Amino acid sequence: MSFMENLIMALSSLKAHKMRSILTMLGIIIGVGAVIIVVAIGQGGEAMLKSQITGPGNTVEIFYQPSDEELRANPNILLQAPFTQEDIRALEQIPEVKRVVASGTKASTARIQKKLADVSVTGINQAFLQLNELNTANGRNFSTADFLGARRVGLISDKLKNELFKEKNPIGSIIMVANQPVEVIGVLEKPTGLLAFGSMEIYLPFQTWKIIFGSSDFTQVTLQAYSAEQLQTAGKKAASLLNKMHNTEKSYQVINMEEIAQGIGQVTRIMTLIIGSIAGISLFVGGIGVMNIMLVSVTERTREIGIRMALGATRGQVLIQFLIESMTLTLIGGIIGIFLGWGTASLISFFAGWPSLVSWQVVLGGVLFSMAIGIVFGILPANKASKMNPIESLRYE
Amino acid sequence: MIQLQSIKKSFLIGKEKINVLNDINLTIEDGEFVAIMGPSGSGKSTLMNIIGCLDKPSSGNYFLEGDDVSNYNDKELAKVRNESIGFVFQQFHLLPRLTALKNVELPMIYAGVSKQERRERAVEALEKVGLSDRMDHLPNALSGGQKQRVAIARAIVNKPKLVLADEPTGALDTKTSKSIMEQFRELNEEGVTIVVVTHEPEIAEYADRTIMVRDGMIQSSRFERGL
Repeated sequence: MSFMENLIMALSSLKAHKMRSILTMLGIIIGVGAVIIVVAIGQGGEAMLKSQITGPGNTVEIFYQPSDEELRANPNILLQAPFTQEDIRALEQIPEVKRVVASGTKASTARIQKKLADVSVTGINQAFLQLNELNTANGRNFSTADFLGARRVGLISDKLKNELFKEKNPIGSIIMVANQPVEVIGVLEKPTGLLAFGSMEIYLPFQTWKIIFGSSDFTQVTLQAYSAEQLQTAGKKAASLLNKMHNTEKSYQVINMEEIAQGIGQVTRIMTLIIGSIAGISLFVGGIGVMNIMLVSVTERTREIGIRMALGATRGQVLIQFLIESMTLTLIGGIIGIFLGWGTASLISFFAGWPSLVSWQVVLGGVLFSMAIGIVFGILPANKASKMNPIESLRYE
Repeated sequence: MIQLQSIKKSFLIGKEKINVLNDINLTIEDGEFVAIMGPSGSGKSTLMNIIGCLDKPSSGNYFLEGDDVSNYNDKELAKVRNESIGFVFQQFHLLPRLTALKNVELPMIYAGVSKQERRERAVEALEKVGLSDRMDHLPNALSGGQKQRVAIARAIVNKPKLVLADEPTGALDTKTSKSIMEQFRELNEEGVTIVVVTHEPEIAEYADRTIMVRDGMIQSSRFERGL
C-alpha cells in the first residue's frame, strides 16, 4: 500500500470530521506559529545588531595597547597619540587598503557667551566623511576647501546644540572651542539605532584641530579594505607595519569586529532559544491534543479497523494508516502555523521597526518538526489500533 | 480445501476456562456449499472465525488448501484472509465514507493491485452482482440488499477460493434474502466454495450440506442435495 494512498485516505478521514480536525490542528498552528515568530524576530534582531556593530563597509579599527615594558619605560605613553602622520601615509601604501580614516579626539570645552559645555573635539580627515555618516540636519557639511584651507569651521552634535543654543539657530554662530573661535556650519542628525546615545561632540577638519590643540597625531585610525575578504589581510599588514615603524612587538592591534558581532549574536541566540523553548511548550501541548483526538478516533473507528483487518490489512498497515493520519494532521497544522507566524512576524516588524527574518532553515525545521510531532504523538494511538483483535473489533457497536 | 483436525478452542473468562470448541474434525471439499447451523452459544461463530483465519485454535491443526495455517503468525494470516478468503457479514460491514466502488477496491489495496486494475476489477465485480448503476453511491444511499451485494462483490473481487458468510441474510427481508442466497448459489456454480453460518433452516436449504454444531461439537453432517 503506497504512501500516496495512505495520504489520500488520511485526508478523507480528516475531512470527515472537519471541526474536530481544525480544532486539533489549532494547537499545532499556534505552537508552530509562536516558535516561528520568536525565531524570526530573534534572527532579525541579531542581524540588525550585527550590522550596527560592524558598521558600514569592510572597516577595521587599529588599536594601540602598549606592553608592560613600554609602560615601564614611559609611564605617560598612553597620553600621547599613537598614530603619526607618517603612519597614516605608510598605511595608505598597503595595497589592500582603500582608505585610511584617521581622527584625533581631545576632551575640551565649548563656550558661547557664558554657556560652557564639556565636549569631545574630534579632528577628522576627509576620508572620515566617506565612511562615517556625518549627516547634517541643519546647515552644510564640510567641503574639500574646509580641509585644505584648515578653515575654522565645525559640525556640532544635536545634544551640544541643545545645550548651547536651545531653540536658537546655531548656524553661523562663533563658539569658543578650547578658547579658540570656530564657526558652526552644521548640526548633525540625532543618532538613531539601538546602540547610539547622544553625546556632546564637535567635529573639525583635522588641520584646524591640529592648530587648536597643537598636536599633529591621530588617536583613532580605521582602515577600509576594498572587500570584506581583504579586510583581515589589510588589518594584519597594517598592524605589523606599525609595530615595525614604532619598534614595538605587538602593541598595535586590529580588533576584529566580526568576533564582537559573533559574541553579541550568541547572546541574542540564547535569548531566542529561551523564548523559543517557552513557545515550544505550546507545541508540546498541541501534540498532546493530537494524541488525545487520535485515541478517540481509533476507538470510534474500531469497527473500521476490524473490517480492514478482515479484508487482509496487516497490523503494520493499520499502524501506518493511523500514523500517517496523525502526521498529516500535524503537517497541515505546521504549514499553516509557518505562514501564520511568518505573517505575524512581518506585521510586528512593520509596526515595531524591528526587522524579522524567516530563513529557509526555519521553515524546513518547522515542517519536519511538525511531522515529527505527528509521529511521536501518533505512535500510541496507532499502536492501540494495530493491537486490536479483529473479531472483537468487528463486533464493536 | 478445508481440513480441521481435532480443533479445540478455549477462552479464559476470569479464572475460568471455557471450552468453546471440543475436538472438531471437519473436511470441506473444493466447490462445496456448506451451511453451518447451531443455536446461539453453540460455538458456530468461533468455528467460523477459525475457518476465516480471524482466530487461531488453542490446539489442533487447520489445513487450508494443504497449508497448515494453525501456526501462521498475524501477518501471514492477514495475507491468507486477503488472498484466499472472502467475508460477508450480517451487518454488511461496509466503510460508510467510501462509495460502493471504493469499498470493493479495499481488499485489492491491501493486495497491492495497481489503481487502474483495481478499478477495472471492482467494476467487474459490481456488474456481476447487478449493481453497475450504483457504483458511486455511498452505503447510506443503498438498500440492505444492495449493501449486501456490494459486500459480496468485495468478498469475491480478489478471486478467493472460499467465501465465508456469517448470517448473510440476518438483516434482510425474505424476498431479498432469497435473491442474496441465489447469488451465493450462482457463485458456487462457478466453483467458489461457500460456507454460510445461519440459524435459519430455509437459508441452510440452499446449501448442499448442513453441519449442525452444538456445545462445541459437530452433531451431524448431512447432505441435502443428492451428492
